[in-house]
Amino acid sequence: MSDLKYVGKSIPFKYADQKIAGDLKYVSDLSMPGMLHLKLLTAGIPRGKVKEIDTTRAEALDGVKKVYTFKNTPRRPFNGYYWYRDQEMIKDEVLLTDYVRHVGDRVAAVAAESSETAERACELIEVEYEKQEKPILDLEEALVGGDALHEKGNPFAEREFAYGDVDGLFAKTPSELIFSDKMETPKVHHAAMENHACLAYPEPQGKLTVISPCQLIFSVRLIISTLLDLPLNRVRVIKGNMGGSFGAKQETFLEPLAAFVARDLNRPVKIFFNRRESILATRTRSKILGKVKTAVSPEGKILGRDIDVIVDAGGYTSNGDIVSAAMAKKISRLYRIEHQRYHSYSVHTTTPPGGPCRGYGSPQIHALTEVNLDRAAAALGIDRVELRLKNLLHPHEKDLLGGPDIGNARIIEALEKGREEFNWTRKKKANQKSGRSGRYRRGIGVACATHVNGYYNVYPDFSGINIRFYEDGSILLNTSIHDLGTGARTIMAQIAGEVLEVDPEQITVLEGDTDRSPYDVGCHASRGTYVIGKAVQQAAVKLRELLLEETKKLAKNLPGVKPEEKLEVVIEEGRIRIGSDHYSYQEIISRIQLENQQELNVNYSYHSQANPASYGAHFVQAEVDTFTGLVEVKDYVAVHDVGQAINPLAVKTQIDGGVQMGIGMALMEEIDFDQKGYPLNTNFHDYHLINAPAMPEIRVFLIEDKEPHGPYGAKSIGEISTVPVAAAVVNAVNDALGKFLTTLPLTPPRIIDALY
Amino acid sequence: MKINFILNDEEKTVDIQPDTRLVDLLRERFNLLSVKEGCGQGECGACTVIIDGKAVTSCLILVSQIEGSIIWTVEGLEKSGELEIFKKYFKKHGAVQCGYCTPGMVMSARALLNKNKHPDREEIRKAIAGNLCRCTGYNNIIDAITAIAEEGGFGV
Repeated sequence: MSDLKYVGKSIPFKYADQKIAGDLKYVSDLSMPGMLHLKLLTAGIPRGKVKEIDTTRAEALDGVKKVYTFKNTPRRPFNGYYWYRDQEMIKDEVLLTDYVRHVGDRVAAVAAESSETAERACELIEVEYEKQEKPILDLEEALVGGDALHEKGNPFAEREFAYGDVDGLFAKTPSELIFSDKMETPKVHHAAMENHACLAYPEPQGKLTVISPCQLIFSVRLIISTLLDLPLNRVRVIKGNMGGSFGAKQETFLEPLAAFVARDLNRPVKIFFNRRESILATRTRSKILGKVKTAVSPEGKILGRDIDVIVDAGGYTSNGDIVSAAMAKKISRLYRIEHQRYHSYSVHTTTPPGGPCRGYGSPQIHALTEVNLDRAAAALGIDRVELRLKNLLHPHEKDLLGGPDIGNARIIEALEKGREEFNWTRKKKANQKSGRSGRYRRGIGVACATHVNGYYNVYPDFSGINIRFYEDGSILLNTSIHDLGTGARTIMAQIAGEVLEVDPEQITVLEGDTDRSPYDVGCHASRGTYVIGKAVQQAAVKLRELLLEETKKLAKNLPGVKPEEKLEVVIEEGRIRIGSDHYSYQEIISRIQLENQQELNVNYSYHSQANPASYGAHFVQAEVDTFTGLVEVKDYVAVHDVGQAINPLAVKTQIDGGVQMGIGMALMEEIDFDQKGYPLNTNFHDYHLINAPAMPEIRVFLIEDKEPHGPYGAKSIGEISTVPVAAAVVNAVNDALGKFLTTLPLTPPRIIDALY
Repeated sequence: MKINFILNDEEKTVDIQPDTRLVDLLRERFNLLSVKEGCGQGECGACTVIIDGKAVTSCLILVSQIEGSIIWTVEGLEKSGELEIFKKYFKKHGAVQCGYCTPGMVMSARALLNKNKHPDREEIRKAIAGNLCRCTGYNNIIDAITAIAEEGGFGV
């Protein structure tokens, strides 16, 4: 590894100084001359058809420019998940609705000179509903109740993935070797610290520009173009600085409304949500209700598994079908299981829509299956780590469901490393000694998990890169990357810098701008480092070749060089050697421009060659206060198989952040509703995140064994870091209590209920 | 009403509605955009500023409460040169990801160091308990604040 100069180094993130000083303008900080503030009136009831909306009082308010409802906005349905032309999906969302499907649904919008005026005007809008209809909350009831929130009814989607002979296997397996669980995972708020925002403004010749802190500029462009009937080249979408996403800003639903109003009023228009709106009127982590049945041999070999899932899509379809397929595709990429079936239904409920959320279904499906494995281990008297080791896949083993090669899968090393660093055996013995008595009970938990690296063979998975050498030796790397705050720009600079032997400080990395940057399918599916990073590496290689080629042409004309003389031209330590003379990039590139009249500029398009699996093994020690039901995470070890850490500190911070999010899912985070369908927690006052005192120290260990198609052998970390967390934490709590609690989050009331 | 206070070491007088929130005054009147709003209810800490030595969420303060106060934001620390040490160690320890919570974190840390020169990790955790961060998992921020305290040069 020592031959790498910039890759593998913990280089500070670009723009960190500006962020610390408050100099970096986020989209929510932007303003423009003449800018209007667009405030949404979101529904205060869970369900009902709008009978009448009276906007006259709002319109009369001084400073109000215009009030919008379903009557004066486009009615064409869309799905915020639409990201390439002619993609098939259910489109059931409109800009402003006349039928409310959840508290927080978009009913009206006010454009005003100030945000306060817009807010006051919203309060003056009177909405009359035909009647308040019955909410749909219970997933099992939704499945059979025959109540339809949309035309297609419930369930609106069904999926099945299977291989082997599941029925045959379960028929011949004795019941004492079959282990069943039913699990509910919560509807979680992404909780990006910056609430949703976007800014749209009209430009000459009917063009619209939108600045959005999004994850797919080209999807935002496509949806606006479709809804507003504009050609793609009349819509420009620029990725703005973003205060976190975690998937919340992956789908498009606010930008088209802002763009429509900007065009309608010929003024810049900004939307900036408050926290209540971010919780209720954006997207959430899809809640699931899962059942699993696993057949395990007395020796601990997993023989087969049968999984049934109901996905709660919330009020609109969004990714409520696709997320189920994503969950299914994880079940065969962790353990060797010869017979497996996954079946799912997706249903609409009168709750905020589900959507992409860090891990895209993986944390949910792993919570179901990893907690279930602990039940099997306990019943069979097999150590939980040992049980997993007996079944984990080896590198390049086949995905029996037919998914892409799992690649250089190093989960076995990760689990073994974690067992050692966590002191699993010693902690286990200590727990056995202390027994399960007393007020404070400690338990240990482990979970393994897998996630993806892009979309190879399933969806378009390509990335365009433009990279230029300037005549002073600095570099412009023009990508469509969306830095979600993860340091993606820094990672790209490290990769390009390594190839070109240029300090990443000297490389400017541009984020996506649909008018100016090459096409890329977006920053999701953990494809940033693995796919876009590889595209950057390959483009940089081409630029290096071009530099050498042009230098060779130049070399012939250098003073004192005979025309027939063949000089060696090489790059050495960031300098160019011609024969025995050394030149800086600056000298050579300037001369290439003057003498060869050539710009050192490469356009390169790369598409992924594989989709290997990323892995993590997490170990948790938890202490349960049996008087209060509160859980404290005392020790945490996270081991990840990352191929190669491009920036180890960035990897560590991804893992720590992923753990923070996962503990929340396990113990406290849930958008909850009363029986009538009204949300119970609409701000951080009652929707709690893990804060600093509740956060454990995380001991991170990396398995770095290069992945063939990754840039310098790297693979993804951003999503996988949060995938095993909830399962591992729940397993630790269950170990402490000697129970198998499976309704997440394990809040104090749920723990107390289980104990007494 | 007229209100007088000291903002980032400069005397200010504003004529303003007394029920204006401090966060709005700072952002809109003084263009101090380091003061972020994440929840509007004092629960996330993104709008934290220092008032008379204490870290306070400025979304819960009305301007009528700040008569005669000494208020600091990150912009003030930048001007006084104090921000340099925060930049150095927040960067070094990977304490900044999306950065939206960062100015608020800096202000809470600064207020802590004002009264406790050598905080341990638990004291740091408590000091930033009201500053939520979804990116970092806090530990890198605690590392950074620990390093800043070790280098010292603050308060008391």
